Amino acid sequence: MSESADGDRSRGVGQRVARAAVRAGLRLGPWPLSVALVGTASAHAGSLGGATASATVPTWLTVLTGGIVVGATFLFTTLLTDHDAMRGVNWWRIAVPTPTSVRRGLVRLTQVVSVALLALVVVAGLAGPTTPTQNFALLFVWAGWWAGYTMTTYLVGNSWPALDPWRATAGGLRWGLATLLDVGAPRERDERSADGGVATGRRFALGSASLPRRWGVWPAVVGLLALVFLEVVSPIGTNSRALALVVLAYSVVTVAGALVYGRAWFDRVDPVSRVFATYGRVAPVQRDADGFSVRLPGTAATEEILPDRPGETAFVVALLWVTTYDGLVSTPLWARLLTPIAEAGVPAVLVYVAVLLAGFGIFLGVYRLASREIRERADTYVTVDEIERWFAPALVPIAAGYHVAHFLGYFLTLAPALGAVAIAPFAPPNTVALVLPEWFGSVKLACVLLGHVLAVWVAHSLAFELFPGVLAAIRSQVPSVVVMVFYTMVSLWVITQPYVAPPFV
Amino acid sequence: MSTKLPDPSTHVPADEEPIATCPHCERPFRSVHARDLHVGELHEADATETEDERYERALETERDDLWFFHAKAVVGLGVTYATTVILYMVVLSGFL
Repeated sequence: MSESADGDRSRGVGQRVARAAVRAGLRLGPWPLSVALVGTASAHAGSLGGATASATVPTWLTVLTGGIVVGATFLFTTLLTDHDAMRGVNWWRIAVPTPTSVRRGLVRLTQVVSVALLALVVVAGLAGPTTPTQNFALLFVWAGWWAGYTMTTYLVGNSWPALDPWRATAGGLRWGLATLLDVGAPRERDERSADGGVATGRRFALGSASLPRRWGVWPAVVGLLALVFLEVVSPIGTNSRALALVVLAYSVVTVAGALVYGRAWFDRVDPVSRVFATYGRVAPVQRDADGFSVRLPGTAATEEILPDRPGETAFVVALLWVTTYDGLVSTPLWARLLTPIAEAGVPAVLVYVAVLLAGFGIFLGVYRLASREIRERADTYVTVDEIERWFAPALVPIAAGYHVAHFLGYFLTLAPALGAVAIAPFAPPNTVALVLPEWFGSVKLACVLLGHVLAVWVAHSLAFELFPGVLAAIRSQVPSVVVMVFYTMVSLWVITQPYVAPPFV
Repeated sequence: MSTKLPDPSTHVPADEEPIATCPHCERPFRSVHARDLHVGELHEADATETEDERYERALETERDDLWFFHAKAVVGLGVTYATTVILYMVVLSGFL
């Protein structure tokens, strides 16, 4: 019995485009043109592979196949046990030494461009056209930056420290204040502490305040949860004025924090910088001591262990959870479950918060449980905390795969609009959307699976670095694979669901 | 073989003595087998002759166990593949 939703056969291509672009709540006006990539436009909501074959694969089988693929990948990796060969693959790189002067020059250039773009976003948000698909601020922030740029951080490399407009602004302000007021900006001969604070002889030095050590990275965790919550429940996905105000507020807070706390702010408090830094762990291009190196995707995560600070593991888990949460609240099931609760009088926002926090807690709990099982199976004295931290980098490819699956289609659909509006932000033409072909659903599934396959490999490699011998390392990975299989199935299910805008917000 | 990654922090319960300890880096292990493998892998340069011998013997034991494990993994892969193919055949032909 085919599972394709027969009721959806009547939906036209236009509806599908509208649905795809409503991803962040952007409502589309009438479309004068559609750039169709494929002639057949049979609309099977949530199904895949139905363009040419007469039978469609039911959702449950798709989901099950995903779980089978991950499990089979694990079995296959257990056959790869030559530690030297694994290291050869994982630690292979091409070094691209870059002279410091070239790097500094490039960074200065990108800093100027990024600050200009930030200013343009704020101005376009406040003064530009209010139609979401014609507003530069909305398109640039959601399609260009949060979707498109984030993809480059794990597909190419983390360029955010150079492109961060707030970092640039704070640096510029610090230099300006130092020159004008002689307020003790850090200079070459001043001592730099580990988190970027400065100890000079003066009474006050910019950037020298330090955050309590036991907070670790938790401020960024809280920041990330808050940011995603804001994105889901507030109108900043459709309302350009609201977006501009939020961006302004965020800029003020970030620049002020960076001025007071120095570089530690971007490492421990600013969720945006941390997100990109985390995604960058699996990117091919990595920053080295004397330039850049290009390596196989995902392998950089097998080499660098998370620092021993509170909240490091929690941030990676939070990153995974918020991408799941984002997808979860856009499913029809969520709308069906929320409707009776909201109609019974419970404020919907509370339900969103409760689910966000509860889900985060569940993810943390499951990860900790899995780590305990790993400890048991490996028969080791290594602490549970250490195991949690050691294997956390393996979660990043999963988050990245999920991110691509969610946002690639969204980005592609709105890319032409972004291009058109970027040329003339204040007098944009009527924009078009890209119509994605039927087989794009399969691409999304493949991305999720690829992320999990990479994660299995990274976890496998990390286990070999942690536990001596081969059997202990392989056996220890069984709990994490079990968790991964279940999580694959859940995220594949979410991906195959048709998009429904989060209700009651 | 260089250790690029830091030594993991370990915890031995207060009322226990570690079953085996690495003489080079003091890391505790729950089995002598694990300790021997560790010494051979990470402290190859400083290992004594007895330690080398113990490492070889530990590798032998592992090799035998690993063969059985790999046999099971291959069978598992084959069964999974066959089951998946048959499942698809059944579903796509309309029986389910």
